[in-house]
Amino acid sequence: MTYHPEKLVIEEEIAGSPLVRNILAGLHGTPVQWVDRLSEDRKIETGKALEIVKFKGRFVKTCPGTRSYNCCGYQILNFGNQCSLGCSYCILQAYFPNPNLRLFANIDEMMQELGEHLRNSPKAVHRIGTGEFTDSLLLDHLTRLSELLVPFFAKQANAVLELKTKTAQVDLLEKLDHGGRTIVAWSLNPSEVINREEGAASSLRERLEAARRCQEWGYRLAFHFDPLLAYPKWREGYGEVVDRLFAAVDPDGIAWISLGTLRFMPSLKAAIRQNHPRTTILNEEFVPGLDGKLRYFRDLRVEMYTHLKNLLFEVGQDLCIYLCMESNDVWREALGFTPIEKGGLPAILDKQALGIIDCRSRIADLGFRNNDIR
Amino acid sequence: MVETESCSIQLSKVDWDDTSCLITYGPLPDKLLLSIQTVGLIEPPLLQGKQSGLFRIVCGSRRLAACKKIGLDSLTCRVLPNSTEHQRCLRLAIYDNVAQRTLNPVEKSLVLAKMAAYIKEPQLIDEFMPLLDLEPSITLFNRYLGLSDLGEVILDSLAAGILNERIAFALARQKEADRLAYLRLFQELPFSVSVQEEIVETVEEIARKENLTPKQVLTSKELRALRQTAKGPPRQRAQEVRKHLQVRRNPRLTARRERFAREARALALPSGVRLLPPPYFEGPKWILECAFERAEELANQLRRVAQMADLPEFQQIMEGKSDISPREVGN
Repeated sequence: MTYHPEKLVIEEEIAGSPLVRNILAGLHGTPVQWVDRLSEDRKIETGKALEIVKFKGRFVKTCPGTRSYNCCGYQILNFGNQCSLGCSYCILQAYFPNPNLRLFANIDEMMQELGEHLRNSPKAVHRIGTGEFTDSLLLDHLTRLSELLVPFFAKQANAVLELKTKTAQVDLLEKLDHGGRTIVAWSLNPSEVINREEGAASSLRERLEAARRCQEWGYRLAFHFDPLLAYPKWREGYGEVVDRLFAAVDPDGIAWISLGTLRFMPSLKAAIRQNHPRTTILNEEFVPGLDGKLRYFRDLRVEMYTHLKNLLFEVGQDLCIYLCMESNDVWREALGFTPIEKGGLPAILDKQALGIIDCRSRIADLGFRNNDIR
Repeated sequence: MVETESCSIQLSKVDWDDTSCLITYGPLPDKLLLSIQTVGLIEPPLLQGKQSGLFRIVCGSRRLAACKKIGLDSLTCRVLPNSTEHQRCLRLAIYDNVAQRTLNPVEKSLVLAKMAAYIKEPQLIDEFMPLLDLEPSITLFNRYLGLSDLGEVILDSLAAGILNERIAFALARQKEADRLAYLRLFQELPFSVSVQEEIVETVEEIARKENLTPKQVLTSKELRALRQTAKGPPRQRAQEVRKHLQVRRNPRLTARRERFAREARALALPSGVRLLPPPYFEGPKWILECAFERAEELANQLRRVAQMADLPEFQQIMEGKSDISPREVGN
C-alpha cells in the first residue's frame, strides 16, 4: 500500500522547507499547485490532494479524553491532519471537514515547541504520540519525519514517542538510533474486519511482519485492539489475531496493549452511512455513553474485554493491558481492578513507558494469578 | 422591466407538455377556480412563443389550468419574445412565484434542480436558498435535490403538508416500495415528526441487521397485529409500535431492563422506595428514591435498605451479566 496523491497543494511561504523538499523528491511528477494560503475548512475538496501548509497552532496537545471515563493521559504531537486509509469507523471523517491529507511544514517550530514542552512541563514522564489526527507512518517514506523524531526522543530522559499505524511503512526506522525511547504501535483487527472496514490499510500479515522487523531492530512495541468490533464471529476472529500476534512477536517486548470497543459521536453515523454504505459496523446496538458518544451496551463491552484479556493472558501474563476510555465499573468487571487502585492509568502507563518497574512484579502487584484469569 | 406583448391566446395553442419553466406543484386550489369564475382573470399569465407556433408557460400555470377547466377557449396573456433566454424565463417564473407565496418543499426542490442546469452550485446556494427561505448549505441543497427521486404519491403528500420534508429527506435514500410502506404507517398512526424520523432510522437499522427490506419490517406479523388491532386509541397503538421497534433494535438493553425489573421486584424493597439504574446502565451511579411522609418512616426505609444492600441479590442487580447468547451478537 503506497500513498499517491493526485496533486500537491503547497503554501508558497514554506516552499523552501525540508519537508516540502522531501515530498517533492518522493512524489516527483505529481502536479503541484502553489497557493498563497490554504483555509482551514475546505468542505468541497475530494480527499485526493496532499496539502502542505504552515501550521499556526499548538503542535503539542493533550489527548481529548473526557472526565467520565479513564483516560490514558497521552499527549499528541500534531504534525498533520486527516488520513487517506479510509477506515469506515474513522472519527477523522467527521472531525475534519476537509478530506485532504494535510501536513505541517514548519517542522523546526514543531521541534522547538516539543523541546520546550519537555523541558518546562511539570510532568515527570511524557508519553507522546503522533497517531491521533493522522496515521503516524503512512507518509513517513515521504516526510522522513521519523529520522528527526526517533533520534530526538532517544536523547530524552523523561519521554517516549509512540508511533501508531495501520501500515507497514517501517523501513526508515531500521537504521535509527532509538535508544529504547520509541514505541512502534499497531492497531489490530481480524482480517475479515480489515478487509471489510479498513480501506487501504495494510493486511494483518503485513502489520505483524512490520512489527516483527521493528522488534528485531530493538524497538519496543504496542498494540491497540481499538476499535474492537462486534460481529458474528468476533470471538474466533480476535482469537486468531492474538494467536498470530504472538507467533510474530515476543510478548516480552510489548510495552502495552490497549482494548477499546467501537465508540463514536452521533454525528459520525451519517458520515459513516454516506462514505461507507456497505459497512456493517452500525448493525450492533448502541447506547449513549457518559461522554455523549455512542457505545456498545456495557454488558457486551465487558464480555469483549474479558474475552480478549483471557486470550492475551493465556500467552503472556506479564502483558500490560489497559482499557481505553472506560469507566471504573467496566474495568472492575472486565479486568478485576480499577486504575485508581494502582495510582491511575497515566501512572501505570508512565511506569511502563520508561520500563521503571519489572513487569512480573507489577502484574503480581495488580493481583492477577493464573487461576483468576483463565 | 420585462418586455412583453399583450395578446389573446387560444388555450389550444398552449404547450401543456413543456414544463421547463414549471415550478408549481400541487392540486389546483378551489379558490382560484372560484375567483376566475366570479371576477375573471385579474393577472394575465406570462407565456413565451416557440418555433412550433405553440406557447411555453412561464408564469401562471395554475391560472391557465383553471381557465381550461372552466372551459375558456382563449384569454389575454403577456408574451415574451421567442429570443428571451431560457434561464431568464426560469428566473421570471421563480421570482414571480416567491413574491406571491411560500413555495412547498417540492417546488423548492424544482427551483434548485432547474436552476442547477444554468448556474454553479455555490451561486445557486448563495442566491436561491435564502430566496426559498432555506439555510444556504450544501447538505441541505443536496437533500432538496434528492427529493426529485421520490415518486408521485410521496411528492403529493409532501406538497400537501401530510409528510414533513425532514421525513421526505430520510425517505429519499429508500426504495419506492419502502417509502410507501413508511407513508402508510405515518398516515395510519399519529407520530410526531421527530418520532417518524426515529422510526425511519430504527426500521432501516433493523432491516440492515436482519437482512430484510424496510417494507418487510413494517409489514411483519407482529407489527401488522399492533397496527390493525382495534384495541386502544391510535396514540396508544403508535406508542406500542414504537416500543416494539425499539425492543427489536436493542435486544441487549431490553433484556437488561427486563432482568432489572424482575430482580428489583424479587428484592421487595420497602414501600415508597425505588432503585433506579444509571441511564442505559452506563456509568457507576445508581439512585435510590424514597417517598415518605414522616422522618420515622424514612428512617425505617433506610434501615431496611441498608440491610438489603448487603444481600447477594442486591449486588447481583447491579452486575451486568449478559442475557443474550453470543450467537445474537453482530449482524
